Amino acid sequence: MSFGAGFLRHPDLFPARRAGEPWGDRALALDVAGGPYLLSGLTTAQEEALRRRFGSLCGPAEANGTATQVFRAPATDFLAIDTRGWEYTLDLDPAPDALQVAGLHLMARLGWTPALAGALWTPEPAGEEWTSVCENYLRLLTAYRLLEEGGALLHSAGVSDGEWAWLLLGPSGAGKTTASRLCLEGGGTVLSDDLNAVLFHEGTARLRKLPFTGDLGERAGGPESVPLRAVLRLAQGEEEGLRPLSPAAALASLVAAAPFVNCDPFRRETLLAVLERLARAVPAWEVTFSREGGLWAMVKTIR
Amino acid sequence: MIAITPATVLRRRSDVRYRRIEGEAVVLRQSAAEVLVLNEVGASVLDLADGERSVGEWIDALAEEYEGNSITLARDVLAFAAELAEAGLLEPVAGRSEP
Repeated sequence: MSFGAGFLRHPDLFPARRAGEPWGDRALALDVAGGPYLLSGLTTAQEEALRRRFGSLCGPAEANGTATQVFRAPATDFLAIDTRGWEYTLDLDPAPDALQVAGLHLMARLGWTPALAGALWTPEPAGEEWTSVCENYLRLLTAYRLLEEGGALLHSAGVSDGEWAWLLLGPSGAGKTTASRLCLEGGGTVLSDDLNAVLFHEGTARLRKLPFTGDLGERAGGPESVPLRAVLRLAQGEEEGLRPLSPAAALASLVAAAPFVNCDPFRRETLLAVLERLARAVPAWEVTFSREGGLWAMVKTIR
Repeated sequence: MIAITPATVLRRRSDVRYRRIEGEAVVLRQSAAEVLVLNEVGASVLDLADGERSVGEWIDALAEEYEGNSITLARDVLAFAAELAEAGLLEPVAGRSEP
């Protein structure tokens, strides 16, 4: 299927430039890892909806940051999609200096000229639909910004005891949310059970909280970061235990967990370098756990 | 199935990227989202697949590097080269197979 054909009525008319009719004249900044992210061209209703969703992460659009302009798009430009039982996806069309994105009620373009900047076209004027469009766009933008910062966005669960953090990896269905819940019940905190940011600070890998959560975690939580103790690949089984992973096996799991960028042929080389640094810096284990067992106690033994 | 003989010359496909890390190799195909981990010998095979040396020369180089039965090694390398070609990681170089 050609780019956009699953979402757009006229994929061939995809905007070739970051231009269009803004929704309004409001703007705000989001203090999320890799940011701040400046969103402009908003209506008051769109701005308020974002403030409700992201809370204290929202600030005035004064600081320097990665700019995104938001534009109107006619609802008739988008195909009707039955989202019952549908797994959310984005369609990406990468190029050396740009990335085109099509999704549910969104078109977006990232460009490097040379700084990264974005444009988002949507027919959603406000409400949950608008914030969902915006959050899905921000997940993508964050992945690319973190890469520029020598970090990565990882599809993972991040758990912490306040002093250290552990990153739990696994494909869909591996049990990230179950594992997060077990850690929470054991006394740990969950940064996010869906997406986490890893960044290096003074040579140390740190896990930074993101407002992109699944069932657990705080959407509006502050931008805290915790030093990363280990990367854990999840496996479910009756016999609980830990098995060391080679750095190569850890790197393979990390690459598989890096959404968007791991499908971008123009930026995968950079991603490999970033994640190789992480795989060398932090020990990795495969952790087999059961729903009834003591996962959190086992995780905390990794010191 | 691509027939691989000691005279075959193979190279890594242009969209293959890999990193050697503590002996093993992590391999990506740019056009696919899959990630493979190869052991030390597999990583060495990827290094050798430069489009210049024949598979027979790989076997000689690996025999110097790793101890063991040379017949078994030759058989394993031929089979592994065929697997990598089948997986789309290696491709034959036209006109470069040795007589």
